[in-house]
Amino acid sequence: MSNRTPSATIVVPAYNVAETIGETLQSLLAQTFTDFEIVVVDDGSHDRTLAVVRAMGDPRIRVIQQPNRGLAGARNTGINAARGAYIGFCDSDDLWRSTKLAAHVAHLEANPQVGLSYSGSELIDAASRPMGLAQRPRLRGVTAAHVFQRNPVGNGSAAVLRRAALNAIAFRPAYEESRDWWFDERFRQSEDIECWMRLMLTTDWEVEGVPGLLTRYRVVPGGLSAGIARQYQTWEAVVAKLSRLAPGFVAAHAPAARAFQHRYLARRAISSGDGAEALRRTRAAWAASPRALLREPVKTATTTLAAGVLAALGPNAIARLARVAGRRAT
Amino acid sequence: MIRIAHLVDDTTAGGVTRYLDFLRQDPQMARIADHQVCVVPRHAPARAGIDADMIVSHLAITWRGLPGLMALRARHSGLPLVHVEHSYSEGFTAANVTHRTRFHHLLRCAYALFDRVVAVSAAQAGWMERRGLVRAQALDVIPPCVDLAPCTALEAPRGPVRVLGAVGRFETQKGFDVLIRAFRSLPDPFLRLALFGEGAARAELETLAAGDPRILFPGFTARPEEAYAACDAIAMPSRWEPYGLVALEANAAGRPVLMSRVDGLKDQAARGNTPVTELSEEAWTDAIARLTEAERPEIDRSLATARPTRDGWARLVEDLLGENEGERLAQTA
Repeated sequence: MSNRTPSATIVVPAYNVAETIGETLQSLLAQTFTDFEIVVVDDGSHDRTLAVVRAMGDPRIRVIQQPNRGLAGARNTGINAARGAYIGFCDSDDLWRSTKLAAHVAHLEANPQVGLSYSGSELIDAASRPMGLAQRPRLRGVTAAHVFQRNPVGNGSAAVLRRAALNAIAFRPAYEESRDWWFDERFRQSEDIECWMRLMLTTDWEVEGVPGLLTRYRVVPGGLSAGIARQYQTWEAVVAKLSRLAPGFVAAHAPAARAFQHRYLARRAISSGDGAEALRRTRAAWAASPRALLREPVKTATTTLAAGVLAALGPNAIARLARVAGRRAT
Repeated sequence: MIRIAHLVDDTTAGGVTRYLDFLRQDPQMARIADHQVCVVPRHAPARAGIDADMIVSHLAITWRGLPGLMALRARHSGLPLVHVEHSYSEGFTAANVTHRTRFHHLLRCAYALFDRVVAVSAAQAGWMERRGLVRAQALDVIPPCVDLAPCTALEAPRGPVRVLGAVGRFETQKGFDVLIRAFRSLPDPFLRLALFGEGAARAELETLAAGDPRILFPGFTARPEEAYAACDAIAMPSRWEPYGLVALEANAAGRPVLMSRVDGLKDQAARGNTPVTELSEEAWTDAIARLTEAERPEIDRSLATARPTRDGWARLVEDLLGENEGERLAQTA
């Protein structure tokens, strides 16, 4: 490990990821911007994760081990250990394009008001092959309402933040004795959106994107839809928390955000072949805010149609429909 | 004697009005200058005839008011022009401004018209610097003040904290909604929460408090020391607070304050107050429980004084008028 303070830190939370973390770390070590450290937080893995990381043998990688605290808890430990002025996050099954860190560091240095810099993402499958799908979010003029409704940051491996912006949202629950929290460890899902929203509702740091699909975000299809109801409950708990921070804002924007959240979960249900759940979520989306849904008519129509077809005709019909529609993902 | 004209467009009861009363009435402030308060039309401060050696704006900056400030600068081009920023802060921006870049432009344009911009807290000044709103050499920090004598005359409370007070306008800014929810989940039947104030959110707060006889609404009091006298500790769960005069008064009265960690309250935690790092029911319930169950935190009352305010103005006046004043007096002699 070098004694010099690196400009940037990449935090990699790792829990039982021996299969994928090697490729993740290789993509990080190949960054064209080279003045960085990687902090891998082994969050209580009981597979060979640690051995894989150690075998990388690169002095820029530091490993911190802790008993399992969840994704937010692993990221927080990484932030706490980070020495860089810029702190990025890469989940241990995702990949960074080699120019990603350079793009975000340049963006943050040129724009002192920006606290969080993100990029679009290319979706890859279990074998790291492009799925032909991408997240191409809005990049400029991002308001708190945009983040709440459509989360342009997109996934947990897209953001690089300024240390000062993270400092502004640090907090510490009464029972926490060892270090601050940045992400709220009480949430096991939606912890990203909660953190980004807290940044936007309690500080005046701006959130802005850079062009390019600089993150390669792994989507393993066919996941169970059983978690969808719980994921929705967690999202509502996040909304309840935010409504204390900014009651007027949440009252004004929650219906639209809720519609998009239901639509997103409907698409998840569709891809896991659960027609009944997809239909339930689609109905809930329309009940929450038709006006919000009609702002993106094509995506809303395909989701609604797919949910209906899936519920009526089963998964095979959907696969054919998806090929015809040639949609963009998530 | 140096004459300072303090411009305001709003004389309703509130922190700014009380601060101006202090500037006008404090004997030590009178040694620095003769302070006059001029009520001016909201968007046309230059229309008022002003006869003074220095002009201090306490106006809220808006796009609509910007031409008026330009006219003020033009009409009084030879006079030092100072702006005191009572309204805006990082927390304000976060909570109220959708298009931040545009808002920062407004503030930069407005502040550039003044010889000095006075921040009311170091935290607010830090925000102005970070966002490049003011040239560093034009930025000053002078905390506001009120007549603290009625508060310092109070005896410090003794024994455990039983009555928690909240003082301020009933508006979203003050976060009293979170305070009431947090207080309700404490089981102790002997605790009291007294909310002193009035405002648009009164009905909402009363609804939140309904059915809990421990929560009291004694109303607004023009003599805030009476509110502090009735409480063992004060809660300020504010969503933003450029300075937060209530914390200064409460400390002068020997009352500890539980406070959000926002804006100017960050400066004021140092007197022994307890910052609460999250604006959530859970965090505030924890904080109140600790305050009422553990020993009362020691407040350094000697730090809650008008001295930083008086010294700040003396320094500012000396900086802006020191030499000129000497010349002017020589000419009139």
